[in-house]
Amino acid sequence: MSEHDALIESELRAVDEALATGTARGETALERELGELALALAAEAVEPDPDFSAELGERVRAGFPRTPRASRIPRPRLPSLPKLRRPPMIALAGAASVLAALAVAVSLQGRGENEDMPGTTGGAADAPSLAAPREGELERGPKSGSQDGAGSSSALPADEVGPVPPTPPGGGGAAGGFAPGERERRIERSAMLTLAAPSDGLDRVADAIVTVTDRYEGFVLRSSVSTGDEGTTGGDFELRIPADRLQAALRDLSKLGDVRARSQSGQDVTRDFVSAADRLEAARAERRSLLRRLENADSDTEAEAIRRRLDLTAAEINGLRGQLRDLRLRTDFATVSVILEERDGDEGSDGSGSNGGLREALDDALESLSGSVEILVRALGVAIPLSLLAALLWLGGRSLRRRRREAALS
Amino acid sequence: MNEAIAERVPPLAGDIPSETFESLCERTFPKVYAYVAALLRDRSAAEDVTAQAFERAYRKRRGYKASRGTPEQWIFGIARNAALDELRKRKRRANLEVDHEDVEAPTTEDHAELALRREAVRAALGGLDGHERDLVALKFMGGLSNAEIARVLGTSESNAGTRLHRTITKLREACHERA
Repeated sequence: MSEHDALIESELRAVDEALATGTARGETALERELGELALALAAEAVEPDPDFSAELGERVRAGFPRTPRASRIPRPRLPSLPKLRRPPMIALAGAASVLAALAVAVSLQGRGENEDMPGTTGGAADAPSLAAPREGELERGPKSGSQDGAGSSSALPADEVGPVPPTPPGGGGAAGGFAPGERERRIERSAMLTLAAPSDGLDRVADAIVTVTDRYEGFVLRSSVSTGDEGTTGGDFELRIPADRLQAALRDLSKLGDVRARSQSGQDVTRDFVSAADRLEAARAERRSLLRRLENADSDTEAEAIRRRLDLTAAEINGLRGQLRDLRLRTDFATVSVILEERDGDEGSDGSGSNGGLREALDDALESLSGSVEILVRALGVAIPLSLLAALLWLGGRSLRRRRREAALS
Repeated sequence: MNEAIAERVPPLAGDIPSETFESLCERTFPKVYAYVAALLRDRSAAEDVTAQAFERAYRKRRGYKASRGTPEQWIFGIARNAALDELRKRKRRANLEVDHEDVEAPTTEDHAELALRREAVRAALGGLDGHERDLVALKFMGGLSNAEIARVLGTSESNAGTRLHRTITKLREACHERA
């Protein structure tokens, strides 16, 4: 403590002693003078009027009843909100900021999920579980480019799929598919489906694929199921499903596992079909004509020539009939390729179904927990700055009020 | 105070549950009034402001926290805010200075020496600015200790003591000049 501070302290002590004792007794003349000054200042304190004291005492005892002053001009009273004390207001403000933060967090979360939607970016392979596309929806997932052509535009129902150019079977070329004016159109349909299932459920899913195929009166053209050291690791199926039941079959197949990719395409072969049918009819007519000419042949040489032409016509008829049969088969039955994969991150199990279920449940729980934590972090990310801002505003307002009040003394 | 009234006037929150608002009021009312009157230099306004302060304190009594100071400091803080609000209102009405100082004038029975001393002290008080007057009023009319003054003003005790010492010195010099 410096000498100056000690001096201040001794003088203030002299003041306090004088106020406490009512007499100015100090060791030095200065201290005595300060004591006298203190007593003189204390004597300046005015005493309240007895009537006022009594009135205030009554009001205190009555609990300060709210009585309108007569001198005030009565003003129309607006319907007032219930008066809230500060703690509820703070709680309400906090709750409002938390709600706002949650709303922002949830909206951010939703936007993030949409950005990650696999079907929109072609990243279906990254998605652990892709919801089955709507019926007739085309080309989703990474395989979408493998089969599509001019007619594989998305969002068209499968029945309205346009022609797909590659390799027309009838040799009609790229423009050979479309036959204007033909009412009954012949569409060759194909679909590709990639399913993922737990390693211990691949056999079950493979059996279910065959069951679904049978249910829709289709047939399995080719199937292969590969096995690894620890069991089945995947499978490949080529199915033929009646074209008019394709969508229902795809829907049921999609339910057998997680859909990693799904695509459909269609090729209009009406022109090929009509062309082959016309040529077959012409060939048959020619054969009938040749047979009549053979009956009326005048010489062996003429007859032999007609027979050679009949052989050629018969070969043409057989070829055209086979072509038509092939076209009918391809348009009456859709080709469905199903690829069965082991689900990503699934390490296989010891064959116990309950363990797999428990693991799935734990995975789901962990996923939910991480989602909740993510929302909480986002909410905090909004709530903390909001709270800080509110606190700063509150402190600023309080400081401003205090300064304004203090300014009254200046 | 009878029991029925005691029920209507609940005790203060904090560490002094035994003290009712009424007893606190009785204990502090004269000092609070003297402080407000010294600050406003208007007895009529001081009555209004004092009544207003105690009513505010009554309505906010559940918000009192012992950790923020004694009940006296709390009451004086409310009274000070009410008095400053009143001063602000007067400023807005362009009455920057109170033009009718109606605090007690010396009575004729006072001794001449005492009368002279009181006159000198009042003159010295009149030379103080608002902050100094506030400090003097809290100390000598309100009877607060330096620590309590520091709490009411929201400053440190040493700062309050230094300011108080400076103000007392100024008063003493003013009295000397007048003598």
